[in-house]
Amino acid sequence: MTIFPGRRLKTNGVRRKSHLKRKEAWAGFLFALPAVLMFAAFSGYPILRTLYLSFFDYNMLTPPKFKGLENYVSLFQDPLFWQSVRATAVYILGTYVPTIILALCLALLLNRKFRLRGLFRTLYFTPVVMSMVVVAVIWKLLFFYQGPLNMLLGYFSIQPIQWLSSTTFAPVALAVMTTWKSVGYFTVLYLAGLQGIPTEYREAGMIDGATGWQLFRFITLPLLKPITVFVVAMSLLFGVQEFTAQYVMTGGGPNGVTRVLALLVYETGFGFMKMGRATAISIILFVILVAITMLQRRWLTATDY
Amino acid sequence: MKRIEMKFGLKNLLVYALLVGGALVVAFPFFYAISTSLKASYDIFKIPMEWIPREIHWENYVVPFQTRPLGRNFLNSVLVSTAVTVLNVITCTMAGYSFAKFRYYGRDMMFLGVLATLMVPIQVILVPLFVLVKALGWLNSYAGLIIPAGTSAFGVFLMRQYFQTVPLEIMEAARIDGCGELRIFAQVVMPLVRPALSALVIFIFMNNWNSFLWPLLVVSRDEMMTLPLGIAAFESTYSTNFGQLMAVSLISTLPVLIAFLLLQRQFIQGMALSGLKS
Repeated sequence: MTIFPGRRLKTNGVRRKSHLKRKEAWAGFLFALPAVLMFAAFSGYPILRTLYLSFFDYNMLTPPKFKGLENYVSLFQDPLFWQSVRATAVYILGTYVPTIILALCLALLLNRKFRLRGLFRTLYFTPVVMSMVVVAVIWKLLFFYQGPLNMLLGYFSIQPIQWLSSTTFAPVALAVMTTWKSVGYFTVLYLAGLQGIPTEYREAGMIDGATGWQLFRFITLPLLKPITVFVVAMSLLFGVQEFTAQYVMTGGGPNGVTRVLALLVYETGFGFMKMGRATAISIILFVILVAITMLQRRWLTATDY
Repeated sequence: MKRIEMKFGLKNLLVYALLVGGALVVAFPFFYAISTSLKASYDIFKIPMEWIPREIHWENYVVPFQTRPLGRNFLNSVLVSTAVTVLNVITCTMAGYSFAKFRYYGRDMMFLGVLATLMVPIQVILVPLFVLVKALGWLNSYAGLIIPAGTSAFGVFLMRQYFQTVPLEIMEAARIDGCGELRIFAQVVMPLVRPALSALVIFIFMNNWNSFLWPLLVVSRDEMMTLPLGIAAFESTYSTNFGQLMAVSLISTLPVLIAFLLLQRQFIQGMALSGLKS
């Protein structure tokens, strides 16, 4: 990529041309200006301000009071914070491990020519385009004590489960719902990856007498590694940011077992008006996001084979 | 020969069985939501379950719009999502064009700055952004819902990638013909990046239609709520009125669903693209 091509220009400019070139440069600058100003106002400034406020006591009513690292120190000593970290980790693992495995399986099933293939793909993808609020509202009903899931379990003589008010099952319910919503997205990504693999590789393997499993394990799966890296990074990013699912379905309960970090930011800042503390959690969230992005880069560059 | 054929048939059958099983699991919540949306409250948890309602109650699709300002919420969503999409198309295409096709001092720094905001989701900047929007007097207003969402780093990045494929000669030729820069942009270059534009429109519109956290902060008055907020508010006030709740949820999904069914290819490609390119 040519990141800094500007240098070259200064030397090859003929004097007569430079007036026109300057005019062109101004035009280019003006084209970028609206977006850049909006980024500066609604992303750049707020992120710097988040960092700044994270060292202060702030409740929006009185001016911020400098506290040094106190917000961070008290967070790290707060069991509620660690519970929230745990809730986020449980949510991510519980949701995206099954999601990725299912998506890979579905992509393998769909990656062959047969009738109705488009129909299946459309159906699997439909939940992806729905809003999380609607999905959560529907699943809340599905998980209702007298609701259909317990009814279906009853057909197998399993006792009804208090899905949303049990500390064991509320995280399970959230994971099931999010898996349902996101599996189609990752399926499509894997499908794109599979379709990028030239058929010659598998054919060569078949000629050498590899079994179906060996073809998958030693040819398809390694070639899918860039997609897998991307999918894992995406799911970490999605998982860390999720807010709506918990807000609508469980409200962070019962007993805070589903109060994920994004929800903790919201509650701390806008429920308890401890905005300095909320920004400190935001900064921790941001550090996690940056770490994920850098790890993804690392994995990707480590996959040259 | 015959055995191979049979094996092939069996394998296909297994594939179909698995796919159909998966499809049933995916479809069940839709089926149940539709079924419930047509039932009266007293029929919903009847034992044995009426999977297909015996009495049909269409009024579930009407009454919620009378008890809460959901019609207004729907219009708000249409207005806000459309405005956000238009703003994004303008800002992202212009910036993408600039970053791809012009050379000027500070360009690469600005582009890197924009890219860096890809890592800054709303959850991270919630507090200062809220304080800023409040100071601007934009709480409970369309401006507060629309303007902070008016550009996107992903959009700029996507458009820049596409504009890089447009040959410089086209612009040069237009300049020699005496075309102004704005006209070159709008009439010469823009028509060449239409595929990327449709991906951008779908991506932005859908994200905004489904957006929840930011509107939740900006809006507290019922009549300024967008549809997801309206549904969440309906749910917390009438949490046991499942029939109406399902009806409202289904209606709110309809526009995106119809768009998706009509433009499937663009949706799926656009979403896959949005991932794979970065």
